[in-house]
Amino acid sequence: VADVLRALRALPMGQRVELTDADGRSWSGTIVPPHELSGDAIVPLKLESGYNVGVRVGPGSRYHVLGATASPPTRPAAPPARASGGDEGGVVVLTTGGTIASRVDYETGGVRPVHTEAEILEFYPELEKTGAVRVEPVFDRLSENVVPRDWVTLAERSAAALAGGARGVVIAHGTDTLGFTASALSFLLQDLTGPVVLVGAQRSPDRPSSDGPGNLAAAVAVARHAGLGEVVAVMHSGLSDSRFAIHRGNRVRKMHSSRRDAFQTRNSEPLGWVEEGTVHLRPEARPAAGGPTRCDGPIDEAGGLLWSYPGLTPEAADRFSRPLRGVVLAGTGLGHVGTVHLDWIREAVARGTVVAMTTQCLAGEVDPYVYATGRELLRAGVTYLGDLLPETAYTKMLWALGHAADPTAVRALLLQDRAGEFEARHREGAEA
Amino acid sequence: VKVGLEVHQQLATGKLFCACPAELVEATAGSFSRRLRPTGGERRAVDAAAAFQASRGLLYRYESGPSNCLVEMDEEPPHPINEQALDVALTLALLLEARPVDEIEVMRKIVVDGSNTSGFQRTALIAVDGRLTLGSRQYSILSICLEEDAARKVRESGEEVVYRLDRLGIPLIEIATGPDITSGAEAREVAEEIGALLRSTRKVRRGIGTIREDLNVSAEGGARIEIKGVQELKKIHEYVDREEGRQRTLLGVRDALGRRSGAAIDPTPVDVSPLLTAVASGPLSPATRGKGPALALKLPGFAGLLRSPPGSDERLGRELADQARTAGLRGLVHSDELPGQGVDEGLLAGLRRHLGLGEQDAFVLVADRSEARCRAALDRIARRAAVARDGIPAETRDPLPDGRTRYSRPLPGRDRMYPETDVPPIPVGEDRLARLRDVLPERPAALRARLARQYGLNDEVVRQIVYADLLEPFEALTARGRAPAMVARLLTQQLPEVGSPEGAPPFEPSTELLDGLLRAAEDGRVAKEGLPAVLGALARGAPTVDAAIAGAGLSSMSHEELVQLIEGLVSRQAELVRARGADAFSPLMGDVMREVRGRRDGREVAEELRRALDRLRAPARP
Repeated sequence: VADVLRALRALPMGQRVELTDADGRSWSGTIVPPHELSGDAIVPLKLESGYNVGVRVGPGSRYHVLGATASPPTRPAAPPARASGGDEGGVVVLTTGGTIASRVDYETGGVRPVHTEAEILEFYPELEKTGAVRVEPVFDRLSENVVPRDWVTLAERSAAALAGGARGVVIAHGTDTLGFTASALSFLLQDLTGPVVLVGAQRSPDRPSSDGPGNLAAAVAVARHAGLGEVVAVMHSGLSDSRFAIHRGNRVRKMHSSRRDAFQTRNSEPLGWVEEGTVHLRPEARPAAGGPTRCDGPIDEAGGLLWSYPGLTPEAADRFSRPLRGVVLAGTGLGHVGTVHLDWIREAVARGTVVAMTTQCLAGEVDPYVYATGRELLRAGVTYLGDLLPETAYTKMLWALGHAADPTAVRALLLQDRAGEFEARHREGAEA
Repeated sequence: VKVGLEVHQQLATGKLFCACPAELVEATAGSFSRRLRPTGGERRAVDAAAAFQASRGLLYRYESGPSNCLVEMDEEPPHPINEQALDVALTLALLLEARPVDEIEVMRKIVVDGSNTSGFQRTALIAVDGRLTLGSRQYSILSICLEEDAARKVRESGEEVVYRLDRLGIPLIEIATGPDITSGAEAREVAEEIGALLRSTRKVRRGIGTIREDLNVSAEGGARIEIKGVQELKKIHEYVDREEGRQRTLLGVRDALGRRSGAAIDPTPVDVSPLLTAVASGPLSPATRGKGPALALKLPGFAGLLRSPPGSDERLGRELADQARTAGLRGLVHSDELPGQGVDEGLLAGLRRHLGLGEQDAFVLVADRSEARCRAALDRIARRAAVARDGIPAETRDPLPDGRTRYSRPLPGRDRMYPETDVPPIPVGEDRLARLRDVLPERPAALRARLARQYGLNDEVVRQIVYADLLEPFEALTARGRAPAMVARLLTQQLPEVGSPEGAPPFEPSTELLDGLLRAAEDGRVAKEGLPAVLGALARGAPTVDAAIAGAGLSSMSHEELVQLIEGLVSRQAELVRARGADAFSPLMGDVMREVRGRRDGREVAEELRRALDRLRAPARP
């Protein structure tokens, strides 16, 4: 059995075989990749009807190769190369992997990232309808695998594109950590001459119902919008494919695991909307700067984010904090952790570690004055960060640590409004 | 003719990939709109059917309600497969002696007509290579699949199509037979047997629309035509027979075209609007009222071939008109139906001259406010007409209520399936199959024998109970103590004859209501003969059985009134009674029954009549 399985697995995908299963029944079909959760002795075949079935290999199983299926269609020829340095007035799309830039091989069902400009344009042919677009693959990662140094890379590429004359930049990104990247870029990019727009998809582009094409078209429309000088995220604003929200990069959070409208601006309203291809901006949107746009690095990764919960022990929190120069707490309510944590916090602050407080409520701001615990935490040296989202506080922490050695200076940077991340007025109905 | 069936049966197990109930509800809570587009890693491999649907560029609106969650809205990944539904599918596999696959892989089948919010239908092959034995005949079962039902279309207006999501995700078992069926009547029998097998699991939904058949029909020398979504089993033979006739007619057209030497069709439309200014009415009037162009397409060699040949009701003209409708027009006018449609002899001659047509040439005209629509329609018509020279295009057709069918879309190709990676593969273990084998339901033949034996019913009645989906109410009513013969008559004869008011939903009385009705007959509140009238009153909306009895005017005659009625009649007919003696019974019985109109039991009437006759004749005896 093991030999048959080994031999079958060694066959190239797309090979047609006739295979006798463990019960002596014969199946003809094309070898396709197994599902990660298929049984050990299962060989998946695509039958003539188009259905895949898993065939169990057992004692007495035999197979013979019938030949290769019709060779997969060849890739379209790459479009003619553009003159280099021709970003003037156009939009540069940076791709990083994730759902929006992955594709399914319909024959085998395998999912793989899109690599080349030609592939992206083949996927989203409408991209070029409204003006020049240059696609620049930066890396190929699902966004849970994106790390802080990638933010710097993206900031550098974005700055270079804008400095090179691009009207705006679109970054196609996985949605899991899109909010982190957007927030980090809002601190890293200075003197924006145009918008930097993060965009993703909650439904893979193999589906006719994917939100990717609509989101991408809206993102390109925003990137083309003269006068906007912010890092934003553009995604579905509701369940319909007709309205897209423009979120400030450091206020946006993925608030649902699967819905198209998962992304929300917290503690405020979105900066604007895209409807029927038209961009509407609220006056709060920040205007473009004179430039040149630059990446204001570096960042220091010695910061951490700790979610407080009733069973969190001071020992565990202390262990977590020791190697770090800055710790962001996602506290409960108005910004609390249990008083058992006061000791390690005092010690950490004494060591020079910056300890900052946000709320895990993800709406509203922290306030240390209302309860005794808050007042004690304040006395222990905790910095209260207003209405910053925990993720925003974390990305800002890494940026601040990269820009100051002294804890007092780091704290000062944290409390300074750098990119519209603080909202002074919390109006009813605009919390989320 | 060769026919293969695809039977689709909804299951009553809850939805296939979420925890929603498998129920249709009219209430809606909100709606959203989507655009679907065909996808294809390799664009050229996009399924022809998918590309066709998307080319119509429609916007889809979805109404959601109490039978929905985020899964049907394509806002949450599918949950693991409904195990109960899978058990039903595997049970069918065992009943049909098919071989279940070792590991089930759920697939995505691309469908971009909007009927699935995701743009695909989830479907899985459960078993292959089965057979259905029907008397001495055997039919091959190619496959048994388990899939999601689609959303149901509620409206279509302009560029927007509106679907309701309640039906989306209801499990469907799809059973496909081989093309072994050779007539319409046989197709109906096979469909009925498969329907009975499905119902034997007692896990299927019942009522209109819960079982739908696709018919694959090919006449000899014709093409494979899929008639999709036939809901009335009793019409299956009609669709098959008519399709056979349609294919034969079109093959005749092909042969006739072959004998002529018509030039190739030039797809360039000719604007004939200026010629039509005098047309006052009919389908061409948009052009005459200056609301858009009238365009003509020349069909060289087609003269006389667009109309129905003698002895046939089918014609190529209708096929071309279907194409015009698909492009959004109301229809077309073709030269075989002219003069007519507001076009007189003179105008016809003028048109032919203008188009430079010979005697054997035909043409079609379309008119609409939108020139783009006209051009799109003529483009389709030109392509369809060109195909007529080669024969019959394989296509999907929609069944119409009158037994005809209408072009729907090209036959879907095979490129449209790829794995649903969000659902893990499902192993089918021998232990699971053994458990299902232990509780395999009674097959229809065994069921029929048992019903005949247990209830003393004749074979014809038993067949109706088993094949016309009457077993559940039959068993429910007899279990409540109602007399089997009366229940059988109610379900197989009286109920099917009850019509429902025009436009109203079909009359589907509950078991409770039927039980109450039969009890009323048992208690003598209504005569057995009065049951159809009471059913009629119920169908028209009477709230209770008693109200229906009153409404049907059946409650107003007492025993005493009956006796009086009979006495009166007999005394008026004393002459007849004296002349014919006991033979007077039959004509008098008829008279009394006409008067009684089901308000009293027939046996009671006969008894009282006999008594009255005896009384009249007694004094005459010595």
